[in-house]
Amino acid sequence: MASVSDMYDVTWEEMRDKLRKWREENYRNSEQIVEVGEELIQEHASKLGDDIWIIYEQVMIAALDCSRDDLATTCLHELKKQFQGSHRVKRLAGMRLEALERYDEAFKMYNDILQDDSTNTAARKRKIAILKAQGKSTEAIRELNEYLEQFVGDQEAWHELAELYINEHDYAKAAFSLEELMMTNPHNHLYCEQYAEVKYTQGGIENLELSRKYFAQALKLNNRNMRALFGLYMSASHIGASPKASAKVKKDNVKYAAWAASQINRAYQLAGHGTKETKCSLKAVEEMLESMQIMPS
Amino acid sequence: MTVIKLTTQAYCKMLLHAAKYPHCAVNGLLVAENQKRKDGQPVLCVDCVPLFHGTLALAPMMEIALTLIDTWCKENKYVIAGYYQANERIKETRPNQFAEKVAARIAENFSEAALIMVDNSNISMGCYDPAISVFEHHDNKWKCRDASIDCCEDWSEAQKIMSALLEDRSYDSLIDFDNHLDDLRNDWTNPEINKSILHLC
Repeated sequence: MASVSDMYDVTWEEMRDKLRKWREENYRNSEQIVEVGEELIQEHASKLGDDIWIIYEQVMIAALDCSRDDLATTCLHELKKQFQGSHRVKRLAGMRLEALERYDEAFKMYNDILQDDSTNTAARKRKIAILKAQGKSTEAIRELNEYLEQFVGDQEAWHELAELYINEHDYAKAAFSLEELMMTNPHNHLYCEQYAEVKYTQGGIENLELSRKYFAQALKLNNRNMRALFGLYMSASHIGASPKASAKVKKDNVKYAAWAASQINRAYQLAGHGTKETKCSLKAVEEMLESMQIMPS
Repeated sequence: MTVIKLTTQAYCKMLLHAAKYPHCAVNGLLVAENQKRKDGQPVLCVDCVPLFHGTLALAPMMEIALTLIDTWCKENKYVIAGYYQANERIKETRPNQFAEKVAARIAENFSEAALIMVDNSNISMGCYDPAISVFEHHDNKWKCRDASIDCCEDWSEAQKIMSALLEDRSYDSLIDFDNHLDDLRNDWTNPEINKSILHLC
């Protein structure tokens, strides 16, 4: 079996740096992490210095994702030896139990941590993750709401809550959660864009107008956000064709939609430069926009 | 009731999509050739367009995808014939409200549309069993079709090729509509994977 370093012609330092990048940007490419991390641990452990502990943690979690209990247990064993009695390591042990679907034991482990330290957010969040894994969405949502009453600034938790609500088709509450996120992160174009999508999904002329505004805002924050551009086009088109909108509102929205259409075409043309494959996309987009053209009434 | 069947290409791309994002829900569309069918002839889904992964139940991008792919279909004499979804949790195999809504929308245009749920627990390297359940529209409800009815045009071929693709980790290079929205140069028709599948046939 060829080693990663042979296959891709990389040094151990490059492998270590790649792992750090994936860690810092929170990637969930577990198969790759296991491949690179396992080799790093097995062949280059002595060179890694203190980095090795955080790498053990990262590789262990990725190993759980890939059902590599053997690798996960090895990493956990090393971490337990080094950090005896640590809550952070105990949480990892809990995660391993979760991966093995031994939820009751995992639950108990997290409760033990919380008894020792009631502010341990990681353990609380794992308990909620167990509820989610068991399909108990209503309870997960309830527990998450309680958690957020105490830890109002936890963005990851607000986002998780928004997604749980979306999966339950409770768009109003999802919108509320995203509003919290937008308030604390006004420059984040992704939250703006997702909020706009939720409003659009809720439907009705007022929500459509709000959705259009937020798609536009997301575009202002990042003019390469294709979803925001498409969203702006769709929402403006729908308002422009809606019998419930006033003549002026319709006229304005037809203009916005036309602008968005031209920007979409431009984006596809820029992307299609040189490649034959994207020509089919470009043609399809042009035709789609033409067929959806709103006639100002 | 017309039976829906999948070609190897449609089946494999659908499962590759699920395999690429094991921790997410995924969904996509199935397309069939737009032609007159004789009574009793099954609807053959010849290709699959993977759409989204992660949070599925939002309308705007789905609408864009449906419209765009519909346009693409017309150019290639296809028609959108089905919708598939793989849920996030391994044990959840029932379609949710969003899946039913999208499938119903497709059925407005193609009355024999199918709703396919991927059975995550049946995805394995060996591909021993077909990993899907087919739901059909009867009296305004989506009912699960008898699992004994063969869902693939040629199951042994599909099984062999799917296994080979999983071994090769071909799912790494599968492009879905989400990937396309992230970078327009990403091609959701997946020509390279189509070539690989043809090669393995």
